Amino acid sequence: MQPPIYQLQNIRKLHGRQLAVDIATLSIPAASITGLVGPNGSGKSSLLKLLAFVDSPSEGDIWFNGVKATRFSASVRFHVCLLPQEPYLLKRSVFDNIAYGLTLRGIRKSRCYQAVMDALSLVGLSGKEFAGRSWYQLSGGEAQRVALAARLALNPEVLILDEPTASVDAASAQQIKSCALNASRDRGVTLVIVSHDWQWLHEISNNVIQMFRGKVIPPYMENIVSGPWLQKSDASWEKPLADGQYLRVSEPPDAGAVAAIPPEAIFVSRTPPLLKPVEHAIQGIVTCMTLETSSGNIRITLKAAELSLSLFIAVDTAQAMNLFPGQRFYIVYPVSSVVWY
Amino acid sequence: MGYIITGLFQAMQLLIHGDGETYSAIAATMIVSTYSMTASLLIGIPSGFFLGYQSFPGKRHVRTLVDTLMSLPTVLVGLLVYALLTYHGPMGHLGLLFTLEGIAIGQTILAIPVVTALTAATIEATDEKLRIALISLGAGRRQLLISTLWEARYGILAAAMNAYGRVLTEVGIAMMVGGNIKWHTRTITTAIALETRKGQFAMGIALGLILLVIAAIVNVALSFLRNRA
Repeated sequence: MQPPIYQLQNIRKLHGRQLAVDIATLSIPAASITGLVGPNGSGKSSLLKLLAFVDSPSEGDIWFNGVKATRFSASVRFHVCLLPQEPYLLKRSVFDNIAYGLTLRGIRKSRCYQAVMDALSLVGLSGKEFAGRSWYQLSGGEAQRVALAARLALNPEVLILDEPTASVDAASAQQIKSCALNASRDRGVTLVIVSHDWQWLHEISNNVIQMFRGKVIPPYMENIVSGPWLQKSDASWEKPLADGQYLRVSEPPDAGAVAAIPPEAIFVSRTPPLLKPVEHAIQGIVTCMTLETSSGNIRITLKAAELSLSLFIAVDTAQAMNLFPGQRFYIVYPVSSVVWY
Repeated sequence: MGYIITGLFQAMQLLIHGDGETYSAIAATMIVSTYSMTASLLIGIPSGFFLGYQSFPGKRHVRTLVDTLMSLPTVLVGLLVYALLTYHGPMGHLGLLFTLEGIAIGQTILAIPVVTALTAATIEATDEKLRIALISLGAGRRQLLISTLWEARYGILAAAMNAYGRVLTEVGIAMMVGGNIKWHTRTITTAIALETRKGQFAMGIALGLILLVIAAIVNVALSFLRNRA
């Protein structure tokens, strides 16, 4: 295991009175690929800005390579690069956009030619064709690739990607993904990635950080269910689903609370299960199966009406159960396993 | 109608034959506008950058005040500067009343809010993504400031052009602080006012044409910059 390149302690970031990030401790190993997932507004982008040192925490400290660092610190200034979802290209040519960071590092613009051409080649763009173009002469995908080239040219220790493929064409998305992975594999660049492409993220990541309401939570983000919760006449609580089924839960702190069902508490059954009094089952269909390279387990995602629930099972078990997408299963969980937020 | 056409004909003759009085007014205008624009840009751009970029308590009120000052009446500025520079005024010992420098001070006061407010608006309109991109690529504080100004260059040039248009065409300050002294502090606008009052349309029209040409150049430049931005 590599030593941590990032160590965060008691980090809080406030936007006005809104708490965007609230993390007690977090470590990210060097030369690793870390995926960051969570619903919109969970604080992912705010955390990325803190990790990229383009923003400062309201409270707490961030150590980078064992040194306490802040925005503009010499220890981080030339080492961390952030590629936002919609990158900003300077109102200059493609060449000047890529050369900008190099000139900040003391390299004369006249000596940047080869580095710029190499960076463009890395992202699959022809240097001869694109270097002389202006910023407004690029498509969305090309602009994103140029922005990535501008960062790869700097050979950073850490490359932070915020939804790098969300608003680009399929070819650009593929190119961006493979460039980022090549940088990690060939140069040992630490990658921190936010992406809604969870399947890809789970495939490539050494560790996945789940965020919810600004906090890092245990990995059952996909199993989050929002209220409102209804109390039945027998005092039990449930949420009616669109297909007529209902999700039973333990007593919520309030009727609008958010529930999470830990994946390890869930098991699936092809036939109607014999339920214990504390258990509940709903029917769902397998929609996705992904091999998690970090654990060697298979992530199974099942859909029941509007709900999407995930669990992990060993490859052997999946083979024994003859699991594949499209099959209907019973999703069984103990009601008491529900965690409340 | 005939006297206007005659005036237009005589105006062309004054310009073509290099009439000294006409060109003296043009030179005076160019000198004071250069002084005032240099000073207002040196003060207004950093102030506008600060106002647009930084957050501080009371910023909204300062912003409203600067926006209001954009429409300062020139005669009010003329009156204030006159009161400052007059012999008994707090700056009377400098002897700047009825000088080009005195007019330039007044025009600087007129132009600073224009440059400041429009620069602040331009900086406020720059994308948050620009700041993120610059820091992320390794820009320090100084490079962040320089690169942000450079990215906002078209907007700042438009601010300067707007201020120049206001300075060039004002008459109140030049008349009150400059005194409209022939060969000395008579500018294009004060000369037009005087010649019109005398019924001498030729010189007034000639100077008006010059103003029109300069205004046209400013407008063409503005359009060009807007298109580039």
